[in-house]
Formats: sequence, C-alpha cells, structure tokens
Amino acid sequence: MKEVKEGQRDISIFRALWKLLAVMVKAAPVLFIVDIVLSVFHGMSWGVETMMQQRFFDRAVGMAGGTVSFWRALLALVGLGLANVICQVLNGICNFMPMVVERRAGARLSAAIHEKIARLEPAVFDDTKRLEDINKAEEGKTHAFWFVENILSIFDFYLPYFLFMGWYLFSLKPILAAAILIVFIPTALAQVIRTKVFSHLEDVSAPQRRKYEYYESCIVDREYFKETRLLGGFFYFKKLYLDTLDCMQRLSYKATMKSNLFELAMRLLAVGGYCGILFLLYDALMKGEVTVGAFAAVFHSVGALYAIMEEVVCGHMGEVAKSAGAIRNFLRFLDLEESTRQGMQSAGWGDIVLENVCFSYPDAPGEAVHNVNLTLKRGETLAVVGENGSGKSTLIRLISGLYTPSSGSVRHNGIETKSLSFASLFARTSAVFQKYQRYQMTLEENITISAVQKGSGEKELNRVCAMAGTDAADPAFPEGYQTMLSREFDGVDLSGGQWQRVAIARGFFRDHDLIILDEPTAAIDPYEETQIYNRFAEISKDRSAVIVTHRLGSVKLADRIAVMKEGELVQLGTHEELIAQEGEYRRLYDAQRQWYGEEQQPAG
Amino acid sequence: MAAGGYGHKRGSAVMSDPCLDPYEGRGMKPMIESGKKYGFWDFIRIPMTVCPLHTLVKMCNRAAASLMPSVQVLVTAAFVDTALAVFAGREGQQAIWGPLFGLLLLIGYNNLNWQLISFVDVKSQMRLTRVYRAEIVAKRARLEYRHIEDNDTWELIHRVCNDPVGKINGGFQNLMGAADIVLRVTSMLVLLMAQVWWAGLAIVAMSVPLFFLAIKSGKQIYEEDKESQKLSRRADYLRSVLQGRENVEERALFGYSGSVNEKWRQKYEAAQKIWIRVQGKYFVRMKGSSLITVVLSLLISMVLLFSLQRGDITPGMFMGLVTSTLGLVQMMSWQLSYMMSELAKNTEYLKDLTAFAALSETKGALDMPDRQAPVSFGVLEFRHVSFRYPKTERDILKDFNLKLEGGRHYAFVGVNGAGKTTVTKLLTGLYDSYEGEILLDGRELRTLPFAQRKALFSVVYQDFAKYQITAGDAVRLGNVQCEDETKIRQALQDIGLAEAVDALPQGMQTPLGKAAEGGQDLSGGQWQRLAIARTLYNPAAVRILDEPTAALDPVAESNIYEMFGKISVGKSTIFITHRLGAARLADEIIVIDGGRIAEQGSHEKLLSQNGIYASMFEAQRSWYQ
Repeated sequence: MKEVKEGQRDISIFRALWKLLAVMVKAAPVLFIVDIVLSVFHGMSWGVETMMQQRFFDRAVGMAGGTVSFWRALLALVGLGLANVICQVLNGICNFMPMVVERRAGARLSAAIHEKIARLEPAVFDDTKRLEDINKAEEGKTHAFWFVENILSIFDFYLPYFLFMGWYLFSLKPILAAAILIVFIPTALAQVIRTKVFSHLEDVSAPQRRKYEYYESCIVDREYFKETRLLGGFFYFKKLYLDTLDCMQRLSYKATMKSNLFELAMRLLAVGGYCGILFLLYDALMKGEVTVGAFAAVFHSVGALYAIMEEVVCGHMGEVAKSAGAIRNFLRFLDLEESTRQGMQSAGWGDIVLENVCFSYPDAPGEAVHNVNLTLKRGETLAVVGENGSGKSTLIRLISGLYTPSSGSVRHNGIETKSLSFASLFARTSAVFQKYQRYQMTLEENITISAVQKGSGEKELNRVCAMAGTDAADPAFPEGYQTMLSREFDGVDLSGGQWQRVAIARGFFRDHDLIILDEPTAAIDPYEETQIYNRFAEISKDRSAVIVTHRLGSVKLADRIAVMKEGELVQLGTHEELIAQEGEYRRLYDAQRQWYGEEQQPAG
Repeated sequence: MAAGGYGHKRGSAVMSDPCLDPYEGRGMKPMIESGKKYGFWDFIRIPMTVCPLHTLVKMCNRAAASLMPSVQVLVTAAFVDTALAVFAGREGQQAIWGPLFGLLLLIGYNNLNWQLISFVDVKSQMRLTRVYRAEIVAKRARLEYRHIEDNDTWELIHRVCNDPVGKINGGFQNLMGAADIVLRVTSMLVLLMAQVWWAGLAIVAMSVPLFFLAIKSGKQIYEEDKESQKLSRRADYLRSVLQGRENVEERALFGYSGSVNEKWRQKYEAAQKIWIRVQGKYFVRMKGSSLITVVLSLLISMVLLFSLQRGDITPGMFMGLVTSTLGLVQMMSWQLSYMMSELAKNTEYLKDLTAFAALSETKGALDMPDRQAPVSFGVLEFRHVSFRYPKTERDILKDFNLKLEGGRHYAFVGVNGAGKTTVTKLLTGLYDSYEGEILLDGRELRTLPFAQRKALFSVVYQDFAKYQITAGDAVRLGNVQCEDETKIRQALQDIGLAEAVDALPQGMQTPLGKAAEGGQDLSGGQWQRLAIARTLYNPAAVRILDEPTAALDPVAESNIYEMFGKISVGKSTIFITHRLGAARLADEIIVIDGGRIAEQGSHEKLLSQNGIYASMFEAQRSWYQ
C-alpha cells in the first residue's frame, strides 16, 4: 500500500491546475468570469494605447507640416487620453478583483483543510511524511490561488497583449513581429538558468543557513540565553556563527556571481536584439514604410514589451514553478486517506477488552505496544505505570480508541473501536492529556471546549473548577470566567500549575463514563497533587477511569494496576498483589519509597 | 571543528577576543546606539558605515537611472528631428549616426545597469549581514535578562531582529524610491519649463496637494489595516487549533472542530470584510491619483500641441515630452502608493529600532568567567533581601535572610511559586534589582565584576540548554577557556554518560541534535546528564541543581541526585526540589514559603519540629505506606 502512495506523490501541474480551478470558480463564479473577460480587454488596452499614440504622433507631425488641422490632432489626443483612462481603470480593477476572489477562495480552502483534518486518524499525526503534508497544506493553500491566477493571467492578459502587439507590428512591417521572439528568447533563457542555479544553491546552502541560525539562537533565544550568559559562551558561539556564515556566503556568492554573469550575457543579447529592431525601424522609416509617429510609438513600446515580457517570464512563470511544490503538498494532503470509522451506533458503557493488541508507529522500528491482553471492567479504575518510554501513553490511546491497533482488537462493550465513528466512540469519554492544551481563549471557553454542545452554567463551572483546585474568583483571573488567557490577545498569563488545573477542569467538565488521565499533575506540587487525586477518586468511584502516573504513591486509589515495560504488559493486579511479587512494580515502588522510609536510608 | 580556534588554557585572564569583535578593529562607529533616536537618515547611514563605497556606487547609479527618462527625451528628440531632416533631404545620411549612437547607449544603459549594479549589491548584502546582523546579535546578548523574560520587550526584540538586514535594505530602497520620484519629476519639469515655462509651474501647483493627500491616505489606510490584522491574528490562532499536531488528541476526543471552525469563520470573515474595504480604498486612491495624472498629462500634451503648431518646439521634442509625461502615469500609481505604504511600515520600524537600542544592558554580559578569582568562599549571606519581578506587584522574596556556608550541601524546598528558583536568579546576576544585600564574605555581590560572578556559580537549570554542538564541546562549555579532554571524559564518566557518548559514531566529536548534518539525537535523560556533566566540568565554587527532573521518571531522578551528591564532595551545592525524599541528602534543608525562610535545619530536626516540612513529608510519604 505504501508503494502505491509513493506513486501518487507526483501530481502533474495540469491536474493541479484543473482541481484548483474548480475550487476558485465555485468560490466566486461571477467575479471569476468577469475578471477573465476584463483581463482580456486589459491586455489589449495596452496595445490600443500604443496604436493611439502612433495616431496622435502622426497627426501632430502632420499638423506641424501643415497637412492636418489642429482639431484633428486634438481629437487624436483625446483618443489617446481615453485609451489611457480605460487602461488605468482596467488595471485597477484587474488587480483588485483577484484579491477579492483570493480571499473568498481562501476561506473555502481553509474550511476544506479543517474538515479534512477532522476526518483524519489521530495516528496520522505521528507519521513524519504525512505530518509534513499536513503542515505544508497551509502554505500550499496560500499559494494555490496565485498559482491558478498566474497561469490564467498568462492566457487572459499577457497572450492577448502579445497577440495584439504582434498583429500591430506585423501590420506595420511583417518582420517587426519577430521583435517579440527576439525579446522572449534571452529573457526565458536567463530565467531557466537562474532557477537552476538558485535551486542548486538552496540545496547546498540550506543546511548552512540552518546551522548559522541555530548558533545565533544559542546566543539570543530564551531557551539558551541565561545559560550561555552564565557560561560566558558568547565568543564560542559567535565564532561558530561567523564561520558558518562565511561558508554560506562563499557558496551564495559563487552562485549569484554565476547567475549574474549569465544574465548579463543574456542582457547583452537582448540589447543587441533591441538595437536590431531599432535599425529595422530606422531603415523602414527612411524607406518611407513607416511613419515617424509609428517609429516613436514602436520605439517606446519595445521598452514596455521588454518590461512586460520580464514580468511574465520571471514573475509569473517563476512563481508558478516555485509554488508548484507547495501546491503538490496541498493536493497530496487533500488525498490523504481518511478515517474509515463510520459506525453511528453507540457502544454504550461497558467493559473494554483488549485482545492481542499490537501497535507500531509509522517511523519507529519495532512495536510501541506488543501483544497486550487486558480487560477494563465497567466502573473500574486502572492505573498504568512504567518507566519513560515503556508504552504507557500509547496503551491509553488504544484503550480510549484514539488509536486503532495494528493487530489485535479493542472492543468497547463488545464493539471494535475501529468500526465506531469518533462522535459515537467518544460521546461519553473525557481525558486530561499530558500535553494538555493552553487555548488562547477565555477561561470559560478553555473549560467548555471539551463539551461545546453542553452549554455552560455558572454552577457547573464552579463545580469542575473546585474539583481541579482552581477558582475563577482568584486574582489570577481578573474578569472571572471571561478572563482571556492570552497575553497576545490582551489577556493574562497563567503559570504552568494554573494551566494544568484549567486542563483538569476541562476534562471534568465533559460528561463521561470513561475518563483518561495521562500524568495530569506533573506541574503541580505534591501537596496539592494529593488533594486533586483524592477528589478525583471520589467522583470516579462509579465510573471507568485510566490513570497514567509516575508517582507510584498515588496509584493506590486504583482498583488495579497495569505495569508496562518495553511495550509489554508485564504485571497486572492490585497494589497488594503486585507489591507481594518480585518484579518491575516492586522495583519501581521501592526506588521511590526509599526516599520516604524511616529505616531505609538511601545509599550514599 | 569548533574547538580548533580556541587554545586558551585554564587560568587565562578574562578576555574578549579582538579578532571576533563585530567592528573588527577598524574603528567603526557602532550602529546600535543607546539613547539615539533613529530616523530615515539611518537607513543610509548604516550601509554607509559598513560599506561606504558600495553604497555610494548604488546611490549614484540610482540617481543616474532617475535622470534617464529626461535624457531619453533629449536623445529621442534629437534622433526624430534628425531623421525627419534626413528624410526631407535637408541633411545627409551621416547626420543620423550621432543621435543613433546616443540612442543605443541609452538602451544599453537602461538594460544593463541593474545587472551591473547587482554585482555591487551582492557584496554589500554580504558585508551588511556579517557586520550589522552580528552587531544586532551582540546587542541582544548584552541585554538585561529581564527584557528576555518580559513578553513586551521580547516581542519588540523579535520584531527588530527578524531579518535586520532586509529591514535596513527595505528602508534604503524606500528612500531611494522617494528620491527617484523626486528626481524624475523634477528633471522632467525642468525640461518642460525650458519649453513652456508656465506649464511646469501649473503642474507643481496641482501636484503638491495631491502629494500630501497621498501621504495622508497612506497613514489612514495603515491604521485601518491594523484593525483587520488584529482579527486575522485571532483567526490564525483558531486555525492552528484546528490544524495543529499538538491539539490532535483533544480535538478528536472532544470533537470541537465544528464549533471552533464556526468561530474561525466569523473572525476570518470579519477580518476579510475590513481588509477588502481597505484594499478597495487603496486601489481607488491609487488609481484616482493616476487618473489625475492622466488628465494632467493630457493638458500638458495639449499645451505642447499649441507650441508645436506655433513652431516653438520641434516634432522630436514634442514626441519625447509627450511619451515621458505619459510614462509618469503608471509610475505615479504603483510606485507612489507602494512607496507610501512602505514609508508607514518603515516609520514603525524606526520607532522599534529606537526602543530596541535604548534597552538597558548588563555590564560585562559577554565576558568569560574569571577563572583567576578564588574558587571557594566562607559565607554567602542574604540580608533582608526583598524582590519582585519588574512590572509585577507581588514580592517573591520578602525580607529574606539566609546564611550559606562554603563547602556544604543545601536543599531548597517549598511549593510552586515560593521563590526557590528566584534565589538562583539573584545569585547568578540575572536580576539585580533586589532590596537588601547579598554578601559574599562580606562583599555585596552586585559590586563584583560580572566575570567573577560567572566564575562562582554553575547551574543546571530546570529548562537546561540542549546545545546542538559536538558532545565534547557541550561539556567543555562548562569551562570554555579550558580544553582538557581527560577532564571532559571524567565528567561524562562520573554522570554515567561515557558509554553512551563512546557509542556515538565519532565519539566526543559527534555533533548532537539536528543542527549539523550527521547529528545524533539523545534521549531526554541523556540530554540532562550532559547538562550535569557540563556543570561537573565547571570549576565554580557553587553548583546549583534546579529541579532538572521534568524529563525523568522518579527512579532516574533519585539516581541523579545521589550521584550528584557523591561527585560534589568538597563543593557547595544547592538542590532545588519539590520531591522531598531527595532533600534529605542535603546537610541542611531550607524550607521557603511565601518568599521567606519558614524552616531550616537537617531532615531529622525539621521532622521533629512538626512544621511545614514535616507535614509535606508526611503527605508524600503517606503514598508509600
């Protein structure tokens, strides 16, 4: 299956264009079509302006020679002015409208991303490759519109302009139409080389840049600041920093020089072409094939031709090539396989049975959880203990149904978790995770986000806050439940311990028959920790609960204890049973208890 | 690799390596000056200081390029008039060569000058990065620590230091752009006035109010845009809640995607509405001013047409002038409005830069520890020390009195927020704004040179740094002047990390983390041991271990404390912990509560006192009974 995915990773530019075009058109169909039509006129209006200019000059020269009346010359001037006005108005509209369409389409694409993410399996976020697709989806989204717009504008703006100019030059003197080609070739070549040189440069200098930015952060970032200062490490890092910078600059200097020299050569070629055109014009003028007005107008417009060619080749085509990668990421993201869990029936509250459960993470070798058999009885409190990296967190994700096992089965009240939709599976499940979230929202929103449909009563909020050991009347919350918990959005900052209590309140707010507590008290001092555990024990007396903790002293309130070691369930039983056995649990327990024992002084 | 350049042995005096000085001993004036008010002139002054020649060349080129449209008028006029004369047979063929050559030269310059100047540009960019950016980094490194912890100044620092060279360049280009417009328009006016003197005056009279209008509306748009940005930031945050990896579990389990998505949509749409309105205004103004320019240039053309009819100007001059006046139209719309919005942005940046330059610094911040200072002491005493963090109301330490004797082991215990960590911040000079005195053998700590204070303390912070350099260097940083491989090895051995380091592909020379290619990652516990090894390699008199246990399970934690105690015989140590079991390893336990010393004494003594310590210990012990 992996191989098939690899094959799909390359998406052609045409397919990308087609797919995105459909989104754009749907987002603002009328604006989109009007934009295209106006763009065609906009492109031609630049050509018309050149024509009008020629006419005006011809008449002015004629007037000076006495063959044309002043009024006819003035009329031509008014014509030129009108062409100018139309051109400017179209220029404004054609630059403004796409921005509006972009925002509308952006809203759709963002919503599509959000909905897509909500349909993904949580485990997908542990797969680095797919995570990259997810992380880059946003970047791809921002590029998506301009990708389409840039390609479109080549056809709806630049092509009409060049066709019009080609026709106009051809009608003056057929050979002049070749000017467009003469302008195009060196510009395009220079762009190709530039892209090549710089993408190569990016490949070799990116690691250097990362390094030098890292060394800079060792001096100035919060993470390192105080330690580097105390150690006097400034000059050490500065040397690394400058060495890397020099190395990077040497590389980029070489590449830039190369590309600049080549571009200079191309420019010289272009100047040669320009001069050739000029000579042709002069020749035609002398032969009486073109008027002097045409000469001045064309001479002037060749400059514009160059500028516009550069804009389309370097600007637009360059952008399209640059953003193609991001677009592919985005489309790949939209193609990620979604969760197939669809069952809408509710499993109801009952036993949770794990049978031969194995789980491995996509990138990691070996299995994080291996062959676990376990039954969590309805209303039971289970503690999961073990050393760092023993598979505790993975196990509770399997129990709750966040992850589905690679092999084996997890059944809630007899129904496999992989055949239940998230909504029905989690309808009466709550959790406090180790990596709980600090939502930059109000205190109330921070708590009620766990059950948005529930509606918040002051009484209920007070209840869960009290259980979590926090209080909205605390001076830390100047506006009570409406206090914004974010400095960035003009609110307040909380300490780590306060945040953790808010997270606990959040977990308790959601009505549940099963609750998962994954080391919920790491940032809270032990004194208060005891109280939180006691309150917790009280409310989960008749509910199912799973607690992960390091502090073995606190597991005694569990009915049973599961001991994990290297991904396997090595012991399962009550505290009394396990402490009576020789094994991992006793080893862990003794190691911690020795600090508090009277007679067992710690060695040393 | 990194170690190569450093041959300073232990005992060498405090030094700052002159070859690493940002100004490189060239007597260059510093670019970041405290108390200076930065203005637009600095966008030129800074590049002028760093690379005067390059900057000058760029400025001259820009000025020449601005004059080109006017030159073009003259050259085209000469060419067209001569061509007409040749055509009419008034002049011979050869008369055209002069003007034709002029035209070719002009085309050559217009097309090649940017390419040529880019060679100069590359060089000046590189120099600016190496000198100016490095100076910004040095300034940051010298800042008083409170600016780092304060969110407002931290954001300011970020704004100023994010791509500083790009910002200076942007400002420089902005000024050049403004000069460009002025030069172009003025030179055009001069040409015009030479032909029809009053037309030029009329234009000036009409464009001055136009210009001020553009400035004013630029400012107004900037203000409105700010409001939409605020909403956008909220929307962006909600988006991160909907998309981020760290939320994935709560998002799936609590199922809040739908409701947050709705909130996001509201914020997004509100922001968009304002944004589109602002952009609409922006375009109307921009195109409005270009339409006025169109009308203006039509009027000029009409006047010129009269002159042409009367024979006051030649057809060539007529065409040249009309073409270039029309050329102003597109420039006046895009370039002028772009310049105006940049101007507003750059004004903001200059305000930030002024504030950044004014941020206070710590004296001696960059010095290396003074290893010639004595490595032991008799008594370190806190006398009536009170302290509150800047911008806060609460006293973290309140009339804090404590005597620490050299060579003994202490443990600081207390609940979260009691002030344990603050004590180390005062000792190590991160904050100096305390009342009362901290005396080291009778001498106030603040009067010691910072280099000596650095040599006194060695700290393993709660959030210790994971330096992604070679494993050997990560330890050597503990005593950066000294490179002694046996001692580094010993430190690794003592903390039980030697085997793991030897197992790395290049042993101690292996780069750690992901900063360098071929880097190896360590586990959380290993990183921590490495931080402790760094402390062991540090000859400082006092070793402080500030609850470095977040990454550890209790068994690993107790092992670390035990091992650390053994290794530190003869040193003064301070453990900061809230797991009381480990505290009993200390000679003396200090219980801090509400910013004061609540209890002090040995484990047994404190237990018998039946105070805070005893009850906390009981609470924790009860779990294990």
